[in-house]
Amino acid sequence: MSLTKTYQAPIADKRWKTRKFVADYGVYIALLILLLAGAVLTPKLYSVDTIAVVMRQASQLGIVAIGQTLVLLVAGLDLSVGGIFIMTSVVVAEVGNGRDEMVIPAIATALALGALVGLGNGLLVTKRRVPPFVATLGMLVLVKGATQAYTRGVPGGFVPEVLGIVNRSWSFLSIPLVLWLGLSAVFIFILRGTSYGRRVYAVGSNMEAARLSGIPVDLIRISVYVLGSLFAVISGVVLTGYVLYVDRFIGSGLDLDSIAAAVVGGTAFVGGRGGLLGTIAGVLIIQILSTMVVLLGLDVEVQFIIKGLVILGAVTLYSVANVES
Amino acid sequence: MKKLLSLLLVLALLAALGTAALAQDDDGDMLGFEFTDEQIEASPYLQSVLSRLDETYDTSDFAKDGPYRIALAAQGTSNAWSALFDAHANWYVEHLGEDVVAELLYGDAQASADIQVPQVEDLLAQEPDALILVPMGAAALSAPVERAMMQGVPVVLCASAVETDNFVTEVGTNLWVVGASLAQYVVDQLGGEGNVAFMTGIPGVTTSDIMEEGAQAVFDANPGINILDKQPGFWSPADAKGIMETWLVQYGDEIDGIWSGGAQMSQGIISAYLDAGLDIPPIGGGEWQNGFLRLALEHDIKYLAWQYPNAMITMCIDAALQILAGEPIARFIDFSGVIPNSEPFTDVEGADYFREEWSDDVHGPITMPDEKLAELGFTTMDDG
Repeated sequence: MSLTKTYQAPIADKRWKTRKFVADYGVYIALLILLLAGAVLTPKLYSVDTIAVVMRQASQLGIVAIGQTLVLLVAGLDLSVGGIFIMTSVVVAEVGNGRDEMVIPAIATALALGALVGLGNGLLVTKRRVPPFVATLGMLVLVKGATQAYTRGVPGGFVPEVLGIVNRSWSFLSIPLVLWLGLSAVFIFILRGTSYGRRVYAVGSNMEAARLSGIPVDLIRISVYVLGSLFAVISGVVLTGYVLYVDRFIGSGLDLDSIAAAVVGGTAFVGGRGGLLGTIAGVLIIQILSTMVVLLGLDVEVQFIIKGLVILGAVTLYSVANVES
Repeated sequence: MKKLLSLLLVLALLAALGTAALAQDDDGDMLGFEFTDEQIEASPYLQSVLSRLDETYDTSDFAKDGPYRIALAAQGTSNAWSALFDAHANWYVEHLGEDVVAELLYGDAQASADIQVPQVEDLLAQEPDALILVPMGAAALSAPVERAMMQGVPVVLCASAVETDNFVTEVGTNLWVVGASLAQYVVDQLGGEGNVAFMTGIPGVTTSDIMEEGAQAVFDANPGINILDKQPGFWSPADAKGIMETWLVQYGDEIDGIWSGGAQMSQGIISAYLDAGLDIPPIGGGEWQNGFLRLALEHDIKYLAWQYPNAMITMCIDAALQILAGEPIARFIDFSGVIPNSEPFTDVEGADYFREEWSDDVHGPITMPDEKLAELGFTTMDDG
C-alpha cells in the first residue's frame, strides 16, 4: 500500500501542478490564444482604431465587473446591476436635463441612490439571510419597477452634452478606459495590499472562520454590495454618455456579462478565490469575441454560442482544477 | 353637443377607414411598391396581407348595442412608443364618452409574449365585447386569438400580426413594404451600386423579421449592391453604436449606405459616425422620433423615415366599434394616409416634422391635444 503511494505521488503531484497552472493562468493563456487567432483571422483587430473601440466598449463592462468580482469574492452575487444602469440613465437625464453644469449633482444623486440599493442588498443578505440570488433579483425588480413608476414608462429629460466626452479617444486611450484601468489598479492594490482586501478573501473563503477570528463579516459583505452598486452607477454613467440618450434598456446583457467576465477570469462562485487581474482578462475575452464576430461578419448567434462555450469551458476547467486541489 | 361631436368624429374616422381600405388597390401594389410573383411566393406574410386586402369580414354576428366594454391587450409600460400608445387609447376612450365605451379593460404585457398569453386569458374571462390585441409574438398569441374568436369575442389586431388567420381585422401597415421601401431608398441614393451596411432589429421578433425580409428582397434584386455585413442592433442605441463602431474600423468610408430597422438604432449609428469624424452616408431607416430628427437636422443627414404611429390605437378602437355596430370591415386596414402625417418622409421634409418642444423620445404623429402630451411629461416647455 505504501509502495503504491510512493509510486503514484509524483504523477498526482505533476497533474495537480498542471491543473493549478491552468486554474491560475488559464484565462491569460485563453486571451493570448484569442489574440493570436485574431492576428490570423482578423488582422484589423490590431489597428489603433479597433483597439480604441474594443477598449472603450470593454470599459463599460469592465467597470461593472470590478464590483461584481468583489461581490463574488465574498460568495455573493449581484443581479441588481441591470436595474442600476437604467436608474442611473434616468437620474442623469432627469437631474441633468441637458445642462452641463448639473452633471456633477446628477452623478452624485445617482451614486447616492446606487449606494442605497447596495446597502439594501447587503442588509438583505446579511441581516435577513436572504440568498444573494434572491435578494439581488428582488432588488433588480424593485429598482426597475420604481424607475418605471417614477417615469411612468417614459424617461424624460436630456443627457448633458458634456457626458459625450466618454466617446473621445486619444490614440487607443479614452476616459472610460482610464477609469476602468485606474479603478482596477486601485482595487487590485486594496485586495492584495490592505487588511480590508485580506478580510474580503477571508470572508469569502470561510465565513464562520472569519467571524471567529474577529472579522466583522457582515460589515465586509455589506461594504462590497455597496461598492458593487457604485461601480454599476459609474458604468451606467459611462453608458449614458456613450449613447447620450435616456434608454430604458440601457446596459441590457451587461449584468450577466459582468458575472461571466469574473467567472471566466477565475473568480469562484463559492467565494474566496480569484481577483481583478483575471476579471480584466475575462472582460477582454468577451469583448474581443464580440468584436471579432462583427469583423468576421458572422451571425450574432455564433457570438452567443462562442460566449456560452467559453463560459462553460472556463467553469469546467476551474471546477476540475479546484476539485483536484 | 359633445355627444354629437363625438358621433361626428367616429363617423369621420369610419369613413376614413373605408376610404383607406378602398385606396389599396388589389393587384399587389401598396404605397407604390410592386411585388414580383417570386417575392409573394417566398413570403407567407405578404401572401396573408395581400389576400386580406380584398376581403371584408361580415361582422353581423358580433353586432350588439353599446355602450361597450373593450379589452386592450397592449405592449404596456416598456418604452415611450407604448406609453404614448396607451395615452392615446385612454384619451380617445375618454373623448368618445362613456356612452360609447363604458370600460376599457387593460392588460400590460411589458413587451413580453410570455406575460401577454395568460393576460389575454384573464381579459377574456371578464367577457369583453371586443379584444384589441397588440401581439408580442406571432406564434405565441395565435392560440389565444383563436380562443377569443371561439368565445365570440371579435379580435382586432393592432400594430402587428399573428400566425392564424382567424381574427376579424388587422390595423397596421405592410411591414414587408416598409423594409423594402427603405432598401429601395438606399439603392436609389447609391444609383444602384455600392456597399451597404445592414442593421436589423431583434432576430425572431415578427416586425423586425418581416422588415428584414422585404429589404433583403430588394437588395437581392439589385446585383450592384454589395451587403458588407448584416448584424442585429436589437433596437438599442448602445448596441447599434457598438456594431457601427466596429463596422467603421472595418470598412471606414467604404460604406456607401445604411439600412436600419429603427430610429433608436439610427441614433446609435449617427453617434458612431460623429465620434469617428466621418461623413454620414444615406440611411434608409429613420422614424418620426424627435431625437432622431434632431440629430438628423443638426448634422444634415440624408434619410428615409418610415412611420409606425402609436396613434393607430384610435383606428383600432374605431375598428372595434365598427365591428360591434355590425358593419362589414376590411380585413387589413393600413393607417398610412388615414392618420394625418403618417406617410414615410425624407430629410427634405424632416424639419416640418421636428418639434422643438417635444422630448427626444416622442414618436409622432400625435393626435391627442398638446396639453395631454405636456401632462404626461413629454414636452420640455416648462424647462425653458
